Amino acid sequence: MTKLMLSKILENEIVAALLNNRKGCVGLIIVIFFIFMAVTADIISPYNPWEIVGPPYSPPSSSHPLGLNDIGQDILSELIHGSRVSLIVGFSVAFFGTLIGVTVGLISGYYGGIIDDVITRGIDILLALPSLPLIILLAAYLGPSLFNIIFVLSIMGWGGIARIVRAQTLSLRERAFVESCKAIGMSNFQIIFKVILPNIFPIILAETVLRVTGAILSEAGLSFLGLGDPTKKSWGMMLYYANSRFAIFLGRWEWVFAPGFSIALLGTAFCLIGSALDEIANPKIRRER
Amino acid sequence: MSSIKSFIMRRIWFSTLTFIILLILNFIIPRAMPGDPARILVNEYQLPMEAVNQLKATFNLDKSIQEQFLAYLRETLLHLNFGYSYRYYPTTVWELLMQRLPWTILLLGVASITTPAFGILLGIISGWRRGKKTDLAITSTSMFIWAIPYFWLAMVLLYLFGYLIPIFPLGHAVTPGVSHQNLFEYVVDVLRHMILPIIAITLTGYASYTLITRNAMIETLMEDYILTAEAKGLPEKKIMLNHAARNALLPTVTMVALRFGFIVSGSIYTETVFSYPGVGLLIYEAITYHDYPVLQAAFFLLSITVILANIIADIVYLIVDPRVKYT
Repeated sequence: MTKLMLSKILENEIVAALLNNRKGCVGLIIVIFFIFMAVTADIISPYNPWEIVGPPYSPPSSSHPLGLNDIGQDILSELIHGSRVSLIVGFSVAFFGTLIGVTVGLISGYYGGIIDDVITRGIDILLALPSLPLIILLAAYLGPSLFNIIFVLSIMGWGGIARIVRAQTLSLRERAFVESCKAIGMSNFQIIFKVILPNIFPIILAETVLRVTGAILSEAGLSFLGLGDPTKKSWGMMLYYANSRFAIFLGRWEWVFAPGFSIALLGTAFCLIGSALDEIANPKIRRER
Repeated sequence: MSSIKSFIMRRIWFSTLTFIILLILNFIIPRAMPGDPARILVNEYQLPMEAVNQLKATFNLDKSIQEQFLAYLRETLLHLNFGYSYRYYPTTVWELLMQRLPWTILLLGVASITTPAFGILLGIISGWRRGKKTDLAITSTSMFIWAIPYFWLAMVLLYLFGYLIPIFPLGHAVTPGVSHQNLFEYVVDVLRHMILPIIAITLTGYASYTLITRNAMIETLMEDYILTAEAKGLPEKKIMLNHAARNALLPTVTMVALRFGFIVSGSIYTETVFSYPGVGLLIYEAITYHDYPVLQAAFFLLSITVILANIIADIVYLIVDPRVKYT
């Protein structure tokens, strides 16, 4: 009953509920700030991030607040344009990963039996393998492109959410209202997607938002290791060049600091929203605070 | 007793299954990629002709996929043969990995103790002081640190304590070009080079342990026996450690194994930043040089490490929690 009401709140007033929560409010403001940055990147960045505008390795100056990189591109402009890759990868991977995870979890939890056994075992194995080396291997073979990164991170990142959805479905399946849906002749498909899914929606939403942070970090990590899309400016790739061109030993701390701080800030923002949604969906956690 | 036995059997069966899947993945991935990557093993551009011919013969690369698979199994399992490194030919991939593995094991071994230990300690304090300022500080820092890229924190540490205040070396596992007078000097040198990487891995990995331990602490603190302990007038520290923390720790122990993969990830990034000559740095170099055989073997080796760590964690769990439900 409370869950049904909650999903109603989430459908109609999700933003309002978030704004009432301090964490959610702060997170939302940061995310909107970065979305604004990404959308208007071409207008607000002082230079074209690909253009060589001065001598390489120039330290910060009034015309280049963050200085120039190893080939003389403006770092501030790179930073502004970099928000695009993080947001695109973050949202896409969270969306596709959740889509796979929820579908698998629902099927596994609802049907039970052998299907459930096989899927659960599969998820266990997926989670038992070290994900980063596998992701690196796949990304290296597929070649560096934004699409490939999204693809690899999505197919590697649905295990956790599938597990949660399965557990929830398993317990919901036994409830009386699901039984009565069966009694009035609803098909399995209808029950899964029209009855069970709305009930676990709040939990899925919180998890998805947290997944955005994970995806942003993974993309940054791959780009940092040299597996990023070379045709797109990204924060991870800025750090790749900062590291491989020894920015630290040249004392160029802002070159290292700016992209990393942006990743962390955006990541924290999604974390805050995710945990705010969690609090809204689970009143038990809320009471403890 | 029989339930313990069946629990162990189930875990061994699961580990074996994971290993088999790993073997198959490692065979399929290069062959399922666009552009005939089975040839990657025998890259004509990077290896001399004699090596190419030799690899083709050993791995049956001109024969059917079944024969390739059998050759792959034989070479991988019996001969530990992963082909040649493109970059370091004529060094084989296996030799290369064995040179690097000891450093990674050292780093991983220490980090997989310090990371949970630090995280759990903060979690206990945070849960005990729930709602207070200490708790707020710990949980919000943990959340921010969770969202920080592994490698970035390592870079910041390196900048602060290697460049700005040069108290630690700027990288590598030992000072290059120095012959050590005796074993003691060597050990000190190794330790000095290890401190920053270990701090980096610990700081980037501890947060999830803290959050889980904190929640478990809060749940445990609501139990009646804590109230009883308080009513008996036991000192606070004793209740916190002996009564609450001991029970709150159990869910965390299972997590240690689950998160071991993340410590492995942390070490790949950290080694890259600190030029620490382990498997992680090797992976980074292999990406830059498109050294696919090395990448594949490194993935294989790290996965086996994680599977072994899982088995060890299962055994530890059996020892720590005698009430464990063997499911």
